[in-house]
Amino acid sequence: MRTVRREYSVCIALSLILFALAIFAPSFYQPTPFLSFLARQAPALIVTCGAALIIIARQIDISVGSQLAVCSVCAGLLSTANWPAGLVLLAAIALGATLGSINGFFVAGLRLPSIVVTLATMVTWREALRWKRQGAFVNLPQGAQWFGLSQTQGQLTIIVVALAVLAGLALLTRHLAAGRFIYATGSDVEAARLAGIRPQLVTFSLFVVMGALSGLAAVLNNAQSPQVDPKAGTGLELKAIAAVVVGGVAISGGRGHLWGVFVGFLLMACVSPALVYLHIEAYWERAIAGAIILLAVLGDGLGSVQKTTTSGSLASGETVTSR
Amino acid sequence: MGTTSNVSSWKALLLKHETLLFIIVVLEWFFFAAIGRRFGTLENSYDILRHSTEIGLLALALTPIILTGGIDLSVGSLLGLCAILFGKLWRDAHFPIWWAAIVTLAIGAVAGGMNAWFISRVRLPPLIVTLGTFSLFRGLAEAITHGVDTFTDFPGSFLRLGQGQWLGLPAQAPAFLLVAAAIWVMVHFTVLGRSWRAIGFAPEGARYAGIPVERRIASVYVIAGIIAGLAAVLYTARLGQAKADAGTGYELFAITAVVLGGTSIFGGVGSVPGTLLGVAAIAVLSNGLVHARQPREVAGMLTGQLLLVSLAASVLAKRIALHYKSRNANQPDSFS
Amino acid sequence: MNHSGRSAPLLRLEEVSKSFGVVHALSGVTFELLPAEVHALVGENGAGKSTLVKLVTGALQADSGSIEILNRRVAHLNPGRSHKLGVACIYQQPALFPDLSVAENLRLRLSPSAPFRRVDWAESRAQAAELLELIGARISPESEVRQLSMPEQQLVEIACAVGSGARIIIMDEPTASLTQKEQHLLFGVVKRLRQNGAGVVYISHRLEEVFALADRVTVLRDGHSVGTNPIGELSEAALIREMVGRDVSETVASSQSRAGEIVLSLQNVGCAASGIHAINLDVRAGEIVALAGLVGAGRTELARVLFGITPADTGEIRLNGQTVSIGSPRQAITHGIAYLPEDRRRHGVILEMSIAQNITLSIQDRLFPGGWLRPNAERNTATDYMRALEVKAECPEREAGTLSGGNQQKVALARWLATQPRLLILDEPTQGIDVGTKNQLHRMIRELATKGVAIVTISSDLPEVLALADRIGVMRNGTLVAILPRASDADQVMGLAFGQEAGAP
Repeated sequence: MRTVRREYSVCIALSLILFALAIFAPSFYQPTPFLSFLARQAPALIVTCGAALIIIARQIDISVGSQLAVCSVCAGLLSTANWPAGLVLLAAIALGATLGSINGFFVAGLRLPSIVVTLATMVTWREALRWKRQGAFVNLPQGAQWFGLSQTQGQLTIIVVALAVLAGLALLTRHLAAGRFIYATGSDVEAARLAGIRPQLVTFSLFVVMGALSGLAAVLNNAQSPQVDPKAGTGLELKAIAAVVVGGVAISGGRGHLWGVFVGFLLMACVSPALVYLHIEAYWERAIAGAIILLAVLGDGLGSVQKTTTSGSLASGETVTSR
Repeated sequence: MGTTSNVSSWKALLLKHETLLFIIVVLEWFFFAAIGRRFGTLENSYDILRHSTEIGLLALALTPIILTGGIDLSVGSLLGLCAILFGKLWRDAHFPIWWAAIVTLAIGAVAGGMNAWFISRVRLPPLIVTLGTFSLFRGLAEAITHGVDTFTDFPGSFLRLGQGQWLGLPAQAPAFLLVAAAIWVMVHFTVLGRSWRAIGFAPEGARYAGIPVERRIASVYVIAGIIAGLAAVLYTARLGQAKADAGTGYELFAITAVVLGGTSIFGGVGSVPGTLLGVAAIAVLSNGLVHARQPREVAGMLTGQLLLVSLAASVLAKRIALHYKSRNANQPDSFS
Repeated sequence: MNHSGRSAPLLRLEEVSKSFGVVHALSGVTFELLPAEVHALVGENGAGKSTLVKLVTGALQADSGSIEILNRRVAHLNPGRSHKLGVACIYQQPALFPDLSVAENLRLRLSPSAPFRRVDWAESRAQAAELLELIGARISPESEVRQLSMPEQQLVEIACAVGSGARIIIMDEPTASLTQKEQHLLFGVVKRLRQNGAGVVYISHRLEEVFALADRVTVLRDGHSVGTNPIGELSEAALIREMVGRDVSETVASSQSRAGEIVLSLQNVGCAASGIHAINLDVRAGEIVALAGLVGAGRTELARVLFGITPADTGEIRLNGQTVSIGSPRQAITHGIAYLPEDRRRHGVILEMSIAQNITLSIQDRLFPGGWLRPNAERNTATDYMRALEVKAECPEREAGTLSGGNQQKVALARWLATQPRLLILDEPTQGIDVGTKNQLHRMIRELATKGVAIVTISSDLPEVLALADRIGVMRNGTLVAILPRASDADQVMGLAFGQEAGAP
């Protein structure tokens, strides 16, 4: 089957890169920088998981980067106001969920194409943030970094949380009935409706969950440095979508596994250090991400049968509401 | 059906839409003229025209694309890529400036052709293809300039194109008007435009009517590429410099202008005058906010919200129209 | 093989009628399904079978008459309610999730959709395996539905129906695309369903199946129920006559066919992807060749080959003596071939565009040289054709979607006439059209023939076929089995379509 072949080839590609790095740039694997690398990637992994679910449901969300930025800054501000860490976490998640619910309202409630809705909200949040903060960083209080733990402990905590989210979502989408509704909705909206699943409710919930995950990722991101950069999350959506697409999730929805997405994520994450160690400038990263998206989708397009799209070609990015 | 009007109901709706938009632009104008001191002057109007040229061009480029039911998220990034390649052609490859400009248009066409190939030949969804090229084009721009390189010191004769005047109007005006006229004519008065609409309404129906669907779809993306190239040249002339971040965020404004102007995101329905009015609405809004001493960001925020509102309104209008249509039609799909 | 004694019927329709505008789909039909019975429902295309099915599944509401399910009168039936009452319908287009496994499809359809339940994969696999085993389908529960063939997907649908405990199971042309082996499988399933006390409404064109499986058979004709008989009391010939039997000699204003030279010549034409093969046919100018046959016989597929939608990969196509290759509709139009499609909603008139725009859509290159639209030329052309075809509309600028079905069809025809074709292929041109417009269209078709256009018309309407055609080509299983002359017997045509003739494959 196509998906399995894809996941195998991604695994192989990842192994090759890791192997090459081991040979040509063994310093990559030194414990301290390696741990830092993993911890830095952890928030993106969380967001990528959310993005995967949304794409499986045949939608898209390009506002996640802005959501992360807003939640980061707000969480930072709350920290400086000496809120306890636990409350900051909850507040960030709640804020993210609220932002997500706005997306959900327009996409699921009003049946607007998700690409345009999330384009609009992406810019709205980003500009609102820039307006309020004018690019100013938020200086976090002294003990806030690494949750007050040592750097190593903090990093490990962050990595574990991210992996827990990944594992949790992977299990939920496999073993919880509601998780399977996501696949059903993405595979065939009409059949889902006929089967008694409520696709609009599923879609709405996914956008809310996505927002909540952005909030969580924001907190994990904040814990890694003494300051909050309001430009955090720039380009995150593209990296997430690339990882998802590479990881075997079809843009037409209904198929793909979070474990495959994890491998795809690792692959995309290794691109950056691979560039560094190959002495290629980091500025190639965005171009490579774009090229990878195109190649991944090209592989899908040339390989398997296309799901029939109805009116217009936007159909793969929006809920098919009329056939 | 009830109406005795000679015009089909969709056209009537659109006409109303454009009139409404025109009124909104006029209202905007008076509002900001009242608030801001320097807003209502002729000089400022020229400023508005000057600053909105590139977004206006991109909106014009997007109109045929959205008309066919597709989308192109890469136009802003392509503007950036073309801008720095233009700079490179002139500064590093020592092309004469106007030749560099022409080659830049060709580069835009090639990049648009890339989109076209993925979308019409391989039949991939425009959404993900242009998301990929959105990243690729911007990334190439950043990579080529190593993130820092900026192209400046353009000849005065060239800079006049972006900063000077032509018969009293900003010098970009002729180019912009030419493109606007060309797209206007293509969409509304040619067989090509008719085919685009047919494809937007019913891609399979258009095929069965003998329309070469793949070719027509490819054409809109190539045209968009050329226009993005032109926009890049004008952008560089206006600012006097070309950087890799040129055109960042322009796609939102362009898409908003198109949707605001009455073009349906689902395809088939659309008008170029509407797009132009949409550009005007956004440009006046941006400029007016500056004169009302509002920060830049407010324009972006409002544009985002404007996009959502106009989308919601158009979808609701469509649903109401469908509701009436289904009540009047009595046709079974099939019965035997 | 014998049904139980007079127990209460599972389903009963009493004097049920349903009309769509002026078209009477069903008139005063009475139909009954007993427990442990296989009740066949037969009739030509257009006889009213689909409408009856939709009334039982709740997709449509009857205009008059009563429906009783499990002895209870049901007033406002909708698909949800009918499903709860135990009605299941196996359509030809299964409503499955293509990306999910068979087991998961069954689980999603059969289990209540409580979101926070844990998915027991082992149980769902076992349940699926059990159901598939029960109906004898050799499908692995793990297979992805998209990888299954159409017949296999149908079997999954049947498993779903069985699993939902439905007592009234409607099968609409279930064997249309099944191989011999799969058919036997299906027969076994049907028999098992009957053994368990369910009632099966079995709709099929394949009379041998009807005679093999059914206990009773009801014949529908033109929306009326002609009769319900136990299967033992009818012969196949008698059954066909009941389905078809009408005065064939009506309407024919016998136009002398002045058939001219050969316009279209097909030699051993085939298209593997479409399932048609070995087509040999000549059509002359001024001649009307009707293609008769059952749904799925390959007629529309042949039309699509001739029009370039699915080009031929074997054989030779000649137009006016010259060998041509038709790779796209655009090419076909250039060669002078026009096609009025069967699927009007998706391939016909574009409803959001005006009448004039629709009429001129295929002649744009000729009418608008240089690419410039000419509103005057467009309007004139449109009004000319609207007048010629008697399209009832206020003006050419009206949106096509505001017209009635018959008028929309005329607009579609106008579009193709405007291309001035040498060969005009009409696919079910009068299906679902009111009688008045139907007669008008017939008249226009005959006029076209006298003007020298070669016409191929695909029709499931037997009187139409017999009235119009100069020759009748009967298709079955993707090939032309016979070409009959005009004054043919209706029975003979239908017999060949059903595969009665000894020489049929």
